[in-house]
Amino acid sequence: MPGTFRAFRPGHLVVALLVASLVAFAPAQAEDWAAVEAAAQAEGKLVVYSTTSRTVPAGAAFQELTGIEVEVVRLGEQDLIERAYQEGRAGVRNVDMIVVEDWVASRELLAATGYFVNYVPPNARERFAERYQDPLVLGFINRVFGYNTEKHDADPFTNVWELTMPQYAGRVMIRDVAITGEHQNALTEWVRRSDELEAAYTELTGEVLEMTEPNAGLEWIKRFLQNDAIIMTSDTRIAEAIGARGQENPPYGMFYVFSKHRDIPLQDLALSESRSIEPTLGYYYPIVLQLAADARNPNAAKLFMEYLTTLEGFAPWADSPGVYTPNPDQVPFEGDMPWDWWEERLWGYDLDFAAQHRGIVLDTWLRYAQR
Amino acid sequence: MITAVRRFRLQLTPQRLFAALFLLVLGYLVVVPLGVMLQETFTVHPLERFQIPGAMTGDFTTAHWERTFVGPHSYAFFYRPLINTLIIALSLSLLALVIGGGLAWLVVRTNLPFKGLISNAAIIPYVMPSWTLALAWLTLFKNQRIGGQPGIFQAVTGIATPDWFAYGLFPITITLALHYFPFGFMLIGGAIRNIDAQLEESAELLGASRATILRRVVFPLVLPAIFSTFLLTFSKGLGTFGTPAFLGGPVREFVLSTSLYANLIGQRPGIGYIAAVVMIAMGVLVLYMDHRIIGARRSFVTISGKGARAGLVDLGRWRTPLAVLVLGFLFSVIAVPIGALAVDTVMLRPGIYNLQNFSLHYWIGEASLAIGLGTGEPGILRNSQLMGALGNTMRLAVVVALVCGVLGMLIGYTVVRLRGTLVSRLLDQLSFLPYLMPSIALGSIFLALFAIARGPIPSLYGTFWLLVIACTVSYLPYAVKAGVNAMMQIGPELEEAAIMSGASWFTRMRRVLFPLQKATYFSGMLLPFISVTRELSLLILLVTPANQLATTITLRYTDRGWYPYTNGMVLMLVIIVITSTIVSRRLMKTDLAKGLGG
Repeated sequence: MPGTFRAFRPGHLVVALLVASLVAFAPAQAEDWAAVEAAAQAEGKLVVYSTTSRTVPAGAAFQELTGIEVEVVRLGEQDLIERAYQEGRAGVRNVDMIVVEDWVASRELLAATGYFVNYVPPNARERFAERYQDPLVLGFINRVFGYNTEKHDADPFTNVWELTMPQYAGRVMIRDVAITGEHQNALTEWVRRSDELEAAYTELTGEVLEMTEPNAGLEWIKRFLQNDAIIMTSDTRIAEAIGARGQENPPYGMFYVFSKHRDIPLQDLALSESRSIEPTLGYYYPIVLQLAADARNPNAAKLFMEYLTTLEGFAPWADSPGVYTPNPDQVPFEGDMPWDWWEERLWGYDLDFAAQHRGIVLDTWLRYAQR
Repeated sequence: MITAVRRFRLQLTPQRLFAALFLLVLGYLVVVPLGVMLQETFTVHPLERFQIPGAMTGDFTTAHWERTFVGPHSYAFFYRPLINTLIIALSLSLLALVIGGGLAWLVVRTNLPFKGLISNAAIIPYVMPSWTLALAWLTLFKNQRIGGQPGIFQAVTGIATPDWFAYGLFPITITLALHYFPFGFMLIGGAIRNIDAQLEESAELLGASRATILRRVVFPLVLPAIFSTFLLTFSKGLGTFGTPAFLGGPVREFVLSTSLYANLIGQRPGIGYIAAVVMIAMGVLVLYMDHRIIGARRSFVTISGKGARAGLVDLGRWRTPLAVLVLGFLFSVIAVPIGALAVDTVMLRPGIYNLQNFSLHYWIGEASLAIGLGTGEPGILRNSQLMGALGNTMRLAVVVALVCGVLGMLIGYTVVRLRGTLVSRLLDQLSFLPYLMPSIALGSIFLALFAIARGPIPSLYGTFWLLVIACTVSYLPYAVKAGVNAMMQIGPELEEAAIMSGASWFTRMRRVLFPLQKATYFSGMLLPFISVTRELSLLILLVTPANQLATTITLRYTDRGWYPYTNGMVLMLVIIVITSTIVSRRLMKTDLAKGLGG
């Protein structure tokens, strides 16, 4: 080792710094995209784990376009995180990139551990707003409140606190928060913005909210469940149950995925989302793209990510309402509003706050869900 | 020294050799995962650290246990779901015993007509995924509480079903019992069949009434099978998640597995695995009771050197009504759910049931974005990915069934021949434990265990053999229970006679023991076979693109609400499983029509 020190000369330092700065800034600024494309062609089959099944047709289209083989493994939210985490821990290099939801949990287990890294392909760097670049957002998903249009000519909702009141007793359906990680994240925002919820209560009733829970968010969860909420296991069935025609007393839906509205003409549903309920129309969450830190086919993965940020690559998701690319060129799905409109009216969630508080949300849910 | 070696070699009987081997292998495949799970319940995980003041990820903690058992909300978090779980598990097991045992007795011991049909049909409820029955229940009996089209019962009669009948513990118990009664049918049927008729004849000669014979002779002899059935169904009742979540949610009645899944999805595995540990502990308790209560009485040997088949009970004038009743029952628990699945696959637009809407698009259609659901996916029968996945599933099911069958026979042999020793008890219990472990946890632990080479064990990541190992360990209990039951009924004098005439161990197995209990072993292989075709949560973490299975690939359709594809795949599996069951029974000459075995 001493020999190394003796050979040290100032000139080397300059070269070293130069190289270091090149390496450090290369991905951000001067990545040679032509080189990435060329290298991708030389790599093997790209393996993608994805929570959304639409990655399958996107991969097939990409393969047709570039000749690069793509293998998409569709996994549930929790399964994907668990699998990628265990593989990362064991040092198994199977997956090249992931298309993942529940970024609160996956950030903690997959990014903070260094198994996956963020990557911003050229198109996203150029076209996407900066806040959608780290982590790189493939698209946003909306979850909304909904009602039956045969029973109601106009939006019956004005305020989320209505759902805790007698007229909605035993009539509101929600996918079980206990088994839906994103619901848990979203409800932490109700805790974080307790003041706004409290104000909404006063606005609706003219009274001050009296609480037995530590804040208005948890108080809402308690009252909602005590109002005989109906817990379901599938958003599809919720949408169908609300929208079926010929019902005297149809149920209402909370937090089901808006993209189910794609089936309205197909199944002749009398279903509409609420566009006036205060203080939030529901919530949105990102689908995130991440690159495996030791991917076998990093260049192919980068190329696929680039493709997914284009309108062509996003096409499989764009065939329904309720899914939005950060790409500003996207035209909204027929009858849907553009992303900016929704982003203003929907609550997202704060990643750090969600990580810290979703345990409490889940506990409150479990406590009052059990009657 | 030389005598010591010789003594050792004399003592090295096949059963001891097997005992050592199996203890070693099961030790690794069962004890290690169990240890990992226990350890997790004492560890702080990343998202758990926020609820434990001052804790860092990876720290040791008892907070999960305290919270679960003595925390201020432990009633809602733990005790209430536990009570619900026990109610479901107990009543479903009893119901499954009554239905399965009753059917088995009718088929084996009476002159009921249509036995062949009945005994083939009676396993089909287990071939279908349990959710099909839950779905069928809702289609029939749901009321306006969960909206949508009214249930058929209400539509026809105009009577709204009460909530307790439509949702919650009652339908959960019924649908699960209807799903699991085939266990009782197969295990108890095998046991009844093997009762030496001489025993009953002797009792009859001594003046015992038919009721007395049933109570004092037949019942004690099938008691081990009854307990096995109880153990298998009870444990399933403890761990099942899908049906309770689906039927219980609308009236907010939850079970212990809800807690497991909720906390796993909430990224709090420490709390989640406690639910799993409790389930395992309860299963072990039943296993222990089984040993205490049955242990002493198990020395009954029902197959001796010579035996006779019992005469059939004449049902007299009840023959036809009973046959109608049984066939009607089987028809409604089989044809109704299967019919509901099938109809959905040929309706171009879901939920609209008329002839104009009939189409084979989801079976043989070309990929299209314009027709029906506009999925852009080719029909099931021309979808090479789906067909390939079906092929993989069948390959896995056959291999696992064979491996389980052989292992179950050998472990059963070892357990029974060493009966009374600690080793025997240990082996019996070890081989049962994986059955009690939630498959989602088992899958994750196997991934961690086999992802990289550890000592002499190579990395099996991404191989077909990892799937085989996971399934074998998970379903071994079926085969071992069958193996033990079979062996229990065979007197050692048969094997001793074979030894006297110089037969090697292998010959003894092949020529004496196996042929005598072919039917029981066959049941022991059939259950793993069927189970593999449906397994998802155990394998989802272990499959790679190259070995996709029918269930894992179907996820992408379920995900988007494209139920015609999901249902079609389930239907394909059901048809393949039933066909292969019937064919293999013919091949093994274990035709049930002649009374559960050959």
